[in-house]
Amino acid sequence: MSELSTEVPAQSAKPTIFFDGVSSRRREVSLALGDALDIVEEGGAPVRWTYADIRRADSPAGILRLASTSAPPLARLEIRDAALAANVTARCMRLDEHQTSRRGVAKIVGWSVAAAVSIVCVVLFGVPLAADRLAPLVPKPIERRIGDASEVQVKTIFGRKACEDPAGKAAFTKLVNRLRDAAGLDDDAMTAGVLPTSVPNAFALPGGKVFLLQGLLDKAESPDELAGILAHELGHLKHHDNMRGLIYNGGTSFLIGLLFGDVTGSSAVIFASRSVVEASYSREAETAADTFAIEIMHALGRSPKPSAELMFRITGKEGGSGFTILASHPLTEDRLARMTREDRPASGPPLLTDTEWQALKGICGSGKI
Amino acid sequence: MQWAPIGSEPLPPPLPPTRVDFTGNRSEFRKLVTKGAMLELVTFGFYRFWLVTDIRRHLWANTAVDGDAAEYTGRAKELLVGFLFALAILVPIYLAYFLIGIEFERWQGFASTPLFISFYAFGQFAIFRARRYRLTRTVWRGVRFWMDGSGWAYSFRAMAWGLLVFLTLGLALPWREASLERYKMQHTHYGDLSGDFEGDGWTFFKRGWWLWLLSPIAMVIFPLAPFFYAEFKAREWRWWLDGIRIGGVSLSSELPHDAFYGLYWKVIGWWMLLSIIFAAYLGGATMLVVKLSGLPVEQVFGPDNTAKSIPMLVMMVIGYFAVALAVNIIMRVYLQRDLWAKVLETVEVHNIGAAADVRGSGELASALGEGFADGLDVAGF
Repeated sequence: MSELSTEVPAQSAKPTIFFDGVSSRRREVSLALGDALDIVEEGGAPVRWTYADIRRADSPAGILRLASTSAPPLARLEIRDAALAANVTARCMRLDEHQTSRRGVAKIVGWSVAAAVSIVCVVLFGVPLAADRLAPLVPKPIERRIGDASEVQVKTIFGRKACEDPAGKAAFTKLVNRLRDAAGLDDDAMTAGVLPTSVPNAFALPGGKVFLLQGLLDKAESPDELAGILAHELGHLKHHDNMRGLIYNGGTSFLIGLLFGDVTGSSAVIFASRSVVEASYSREAETAADTFAIEIMHALGRSPKPSAELMFRITGKEGGSGFTILASHPLTEDRLARMTREDRPASGPPLLTDTEWQALKGICGSGKI
Repeated sequence: MQWAPIGSEPLPPPLPPTRVDFTGNRSEFRKLVTKGAMLELVTFGFYRFWLVTDIRRHLWANTAVDGDAAEYTGRAKELLVGFLFALAILVPIYLAYFLIGIEFERWQGFASTPLFISFYAFGQFAIFRARRYRLTRTVWRGVRFWMDGSGWAYSFRAMAWGLLVFLTLGLALPWREASLERYKMQHTHYGDLSGDFEGDGWTFFKRGWWLWLLSPIAMVIFPLAPFFYAEFKAREWRWWLDGIRIGGVSLSSELPHDAFYGLYWKVIGWWMLLSIIFAAYLGGATMLVVKLSGLPVEQVFGPDNTAKSIPMLVMMVIGYFAVALAVNIIMRVYLQRDLWAKVLETVEVHNIGAAADVRGSGELASALGEGFADGLDVAGF
């Protein structure tokens, strides 16, 4: 170490090391603190750093590591002697100017909260609006394509082909056509079928596809019971609920994923908040479809009540278990209560004759699946 | 697998090996991640860019090779910008994925499932590019590390080897790791020195084949699983460190096979403790809600009571966040900081003189790769 403390302050026993940012050579240097910081290496060209340019760089405890904005970006001066470090620090007025300060953190928090609030607003108001407006505008061919894709999936799950018994099919077509005319669905591409599975359910797919599952058909005791449920599914078609749901689910999961920081959306928070938001949305859609079913049944002069009774036979009383805030459908007992209020004595002709009803019940053959 | 910041300065004759020192203060790190985790909560996760940067700065700056500490020069803003750019690119890709998926489904039910594999490939690409970002922000003695090579070429290798590993039920894993690591290290540079990886699959296989054989047992007897995993990880780390070369500098490690037992069990212990506390908290919260509302339990959670189940929901959410916060801190302290320190204390650097006078070179890489890794959930350290 150089004892030639030529200039101002004392050089210490602990070496001061300089890396010039061009090579990894470790240079032992001495410092001269004048108008600017002079870094002197024995036998090397002196380097001069202006105090205002000097910034602190990350270092382990006990070492002051400096960089300079006017030197090569990776040039570093490491001072290991505490007294010398204090001496240099005192002269560098802008040493910590580039570090994240308390205000910087507050700024990050503020902006994040603003971003979060805006995302939440978009999820709560923007996406439903967009879904409502966009869903009717989705071109029919695209809707049909999505429908075709989901039909293939549905058939993969529930297996085999739709039930084909001719007399049953005729009866089913008659029932669906009457409902469709009453619903004012002009979609001539609408298709309906019965799938041979014991699951008691019915659903509508995009592009005007209605599927009744045999399990539900078996439990139905009159054409009216079935008609109310089919009318409910037609309501979903009429309101474009599939496309709305698609846009809505896609939009919310993307945005909520964005909020919590992974686009694919895997964490529990995302799952939980999504289910709450989406359930309320789908409950609205279900209630609207129920309203629609009630209107159609009234238009046909039949009561909507039997269909709710059928649902109640299948699900039983639903309340009392779990969190109702997460339920995607209104509770069956609530729907039954509503349909009962809308109960009116039949004023129109039966939707199917007894013979047709028997034929429909046997559409999947002997009924054994 | 992660890389450790390495540097070395070799001298031609066989000098005694140098050690790597980690001087980080544990409680300082704990405070750092605690503060970071809390800020992450109140910022809905946006603070993660700053937190991850601070963690790296701490770990890098306290890691000294041959007496000189490394430095991490990456900044959180770069990560944020990288993430936003990655989003802008990922969103159309997700949309395209959705539309192509529909066409596939029309043709055959669930035929679009393999499309998901393309995201895995993209994830591998992201891993490579994220490594490049981190490496170009790693500085030792005023010279940065850098990387060339192609992310897609790497991704292709990773996919092909992944298929082989899948077909051999995992037996090909050592060779996959060796091949991928060779690719990564051969495209790694420190100034004008080039890296290499000399580990081979066979060595790794010999060290770990019995773990592969016994792994079905761990599935049955659950408490054995952490031992197996710790055993595997320790052997993997040691094999990996032994293989690393940069110019004439080489690394070796004496990491004992049981080095990680304690770490993993501590994490599991904390995890169980937290679960118990969380369960107790939920129970207490339920009782409190029931008591305050003065209704029987069924009615509180029953129908028509959406309004009354909201306090419960809020309590659950608060509890969940508290647990997430605690888990976050525990994972970072044990599995990042402690693991880092434990591994580094076993590392020896040979022939460090070879890095005594290296000329700096290499360009800074953008943080886009890190953004992709973040967006696809494959981010590492």
